[in-house]
Amino acid sequence: MKNGKAIGWLVVLAACGFVRAVAAAEADAATAEEAINNVRAAVRFLHDKGSSGFAEFNNKDGKWVWKDSYVFVFDCRRNKMLAHPLRPDLVGQPIMQITDNSGKFIFRELCKVGTEPRGGWVEYMWQKPGAGKLSRKLSYALAADISFTTGIEVGAGIYDEKLSVPELGKVLEKMSDPAKLPAL
Amino acid sequence: MMAEQKLGNPAVVGLAGFGLTTMVLQFHNVGWMGMGPVIWLGLIFGGLAQMIAGLQEMKTGNNFGYCAFTAYGCFWISLALLLIGNHYDLYTSSKTDVGWFLVAWTLFTAVLWIGSLRIHGALALTFTLLLIGFVLLDLAHFGYPDLTVVAGYELMATAAMAWYIMAHIIYADVFGRDILPVGKPWIS
Repeated sequence: MKNGKAIGWLVVLAACGFVRAVAAAEADAATAEEAINNVRAAVRFLHDKGSSGFAEFNNKDGKWVWKDSYVFVFDCRRNKMLAHPLRPDLVGQPIMQITDNSGKFIFRELCKVGTEPRGGWVEYMWQKPGAGKLSRKLSYALAADISFTTGIEVGAGIYDEKLSVPELGKVLEKMSDPAKLPAL
Repeated sequence: MMAEQKLGNPAVVGLAGFGLTTMVLQFHNVGWMGMGPVIWLGLIFGGLAQMIAGLQEMKTGNNFGYCAFTAYGCFWISLALLLIGNHYDLYTSSKTDVGWFLVAWTLFTAVLWIGSLRIHGALALTFTLLLIGFVLLDLAHFGYPDLTVVAGYELMATAAMAWYIMAHIIYADVFGRDILPVGKPWIS
């Protein structure tokens, strides 16, 4: 009987630990809203600072890296990664030929949706920071507005197994229309 | 009595600096190269050299050249410093700020454009192209970013025209006759 009680408590403790671990993992996961907000802030920053602001996005300890996500900047017209905080090997390199394991041309898709007035989302596989394997990633891209240049876009993504691009489109719509924002 | 010493025409340097720096900014605008060379050429050739050429125009009695070269020399120096200032967070200029900076230069260019119509055809064409280029860059800064590339090619033609007039002056000197005609003024 005593053993049964002890096992019961152990199960409860293990369950609590599991719930806490899941909650912690969720707390460490960037949200769609954060990705949109940070991309918009980055676009605003580049509008104000111009092309001399690109270097800020290469800093892995800077403000453009948060939780398990980060902002990256790419040039769709000149086919080049301009800034990436976690993959310095990609900076300055061509991007249009990059595919995920399903053969999707990631940056061609990002460049396409980024030119839409509110930007857009693309789903692909990418290595999550700290994880040794590929994860499902959904990235939000938006065109940057910088003096004497065109075709530059900013992106940031979330790692999620369930969310779909249409669902994220609704989040974007909600965040773009003041009438759809929840009242304080 | 000594023979009167022959003087050079400051316009050849002014047109060279104006043309070359305008050309490299367009190489950037159409996406062929980065901004670095534009900044350094903007300070030295389009800026300092063109401004000095402009100041030398005073003694030739050419008010158009005096104003245009000095002013566009200052344009390049201020644009280069503005971009350097952005890098160092010194009076940072946003895209909107740069847009208004360009609008002011567009208005100034419109004034000189009218003057250019009375000088000769090549200069009238240069200033017409320059004015259109400025308007395109203004629009690129206020809602039509894709026009940056159109402005890029259009202003390359402007730079080439400036070099044509430069070549007209230099070739007339070295060949002893005018081999590159500049045409009649558009307004006589």
